[in-house]
Amino acid sequence: MFWLHLRNELWKLFGKKRTYIGFGAFILAQNGMLLMFRFTRWQKNWERVLAGNGYLAQDYLSALTVALVMLIPQILLLMPLYTALVGGDLVAKEAEDGTLRMILSRPIARFRLLLVKWLAGIVFAGTLVLALGCTALGFARLWFPWRGMFVYSLWPEHIFNLLTPGHATQLYVCAHLLMTLNASAIVGLAFMFSCFNMKPAAATILALSFLFINVVLEHLPFFEPYQEWFLLYHFRVWLLIFADPIPWDRIMGSLLVLVAFNLTTFLAGTAAFQARDIKS
Amino acid sequence: MIQLRNVYKQFGDRLAVEDLTLTVPAGEIYGLLGHNGAGKSTAISMMLGQVWPTSGMVRVCGHEVTSHRSQALIKVGAIFEAPAFYDYLSGARNLQILSSYTARTPRGRIQEVVEWVGLAGRENSKVKTYSHGMRARLALAQALLPHPELLILDEPGSGLDPEGIHEMRQTILRLHQQLGLTILLSSHLLHEVEQLCTRIAVLNQGRMVFEGDLSATRQRVQWVRLKVSDFSTAVTTLREARLISDHRDGCLVALSEGASSHQLVNLLVHTGISVHEVAHEQHSLENFYLELMGGKRAKN
Repeated sequence: MFWLHLRNELWKLFGKKRTYIGFGAFILAQNGMLLMFRFTRWQKNWERVLAGNGYLAQDYLSALTVALVMLIPQILLLMPLYTALVGGDLVAKEAEDGTLRMILSRPIARFRLLLVKWLAGIVFAGTLVLALGCTALGFARLWFPWRGMFVYSLWPEHIFNLLTPGHATQLYVCAHLLMTLNASAIVGLAFMFSCFNMKPAAATILALSFLFINVVLEHLPFFEPYQEWFLLYHFRVWLLIFADPIPWDRIMGSLLVLVAFNLTTFLAGTAAFQARDIKS
Repeated sequence: MIQLRNVYKQFGDRLAVEDLTLTVPAGEIYGLLGHNGAGKSTAISMMLGQVWPTSGMVRVCGHEVTSHRSQALIKVGAIFEAPAFYDYLSGARNLQILSSYTARTPRGRIQEVVEWVGLAGRENSKVKTYSHGMRARLALAQALLPHPELLILDEPGSGLDPEGIHEMRQTILRLHQQLGLTILLSSHLLHEVEQLCTRIAVLNQGRMVFEGDLSATRQRVQWVRLKVSDFSTAVTTLREARLISDHRDGCLVALSEGASSHQLVNLLVHTGISVHEVAHEQHSLENFYLELMGGKRAKN
């Protein structure tokens, strides 16, 4: 029965057009960035950085390099927005539409209902990240060859690395697994708010506000010694997987924090929902 | 089938349900009456475990809802005032999803119920293309899928046209007669309740003000429509003779216990008051309800 409930939850989630807004926005943004990289000074600047460090640009300006360039701003800006949008809808939209009352006239435990909804949210997060990674690589491959990867990032983490195509592909997959955890944490955060008695938009806005406050506080000089207390510090581990050497201790620590954050938001949401009166 | 004992529900400062005690016996069509905000929907929500009572006991099908909600609702189907569905999915998919929360339902059973409610041929269309009547039928189908023994209907006729209301009424009777279901019907459509229910409870401001057989509502005061040359003199005369206990609307008098309309006419004619019309007022549930609410309002 659990799998049947989960399957039905996925039908509900992927049956509505709203769910696909994020996918569409990502595809548009990816193509926009790709065109910018290809036809502005951006590409030339990267060639200069590579040449300045003694590497041949044609060996490293590849589909993998450009895919990663396209991903960074999208992960920072678009992913929180669309995952929070879906997470905020998970419970609050059903309550607003009245379907939650229809469900809760059935002998299903509230905990189980929320568990399948939360898992469906995580499946959505995984699907979005997978689609994001595949389309970024696919579109980049249309314009650039399959060669080594050049990782060059000054923000949010300082990374400079050159990788062979095989190793780069492995790390690219790993990075997406880590990104799924980030996306799940945002879905979980919005899901938690949506378990309270509020509109779906309010749940989404609260989740985004939480992330925004994290960003602001994290960048205040006063909070510099307390960076590890901010969620976004842990969100950056997906990029650290490309560093040389890979900081496994920090990655593992952040992974644990993210898993704990996911469980905490789920349990907090469940506790609030359990005590709530569902009325029309 | 349903038992509520001294149930209270408070939302903030507002007491929505106060000391509600009622029993819905198996096999009845039980009407829950009251105006908007009387506490009917809150009472139903407590029976379905959607709203937690502040205090008191709620039992459905022999199980306490607050502690054993899942067992209590296994044999329960429910329909609400404005049935909500996943509009972007088909009717059949909606039924599949909603019924899965009770038990795994075979496709054959879904088809059987779809045909029973008269939605055959449209079950694969998206719900957003359904008319209000079709949504009502879909709501009935989802309630019937888990083979319920108890059906809880919260304002099922709301928003339906006269034809739809008639159809819904016939369906409820069919369900009661053919499937032997116990039905709890909440409504403020008094005519509906009068035609369907065998027993009623009336709620007013969260309190139960009447509970009993529908026949009991008819055995109360007998009103007589009286058209005379001078109504106020006639009322005074009849009150002095203790033939009436009350009057209203400038043409209605309530017969005292043991008095008859024949005695009324005789007295009025002997007093020289011309009598143009005497007719027993049909004692409908509406009269009873208005009397009850009027009395409560006067007390408040």
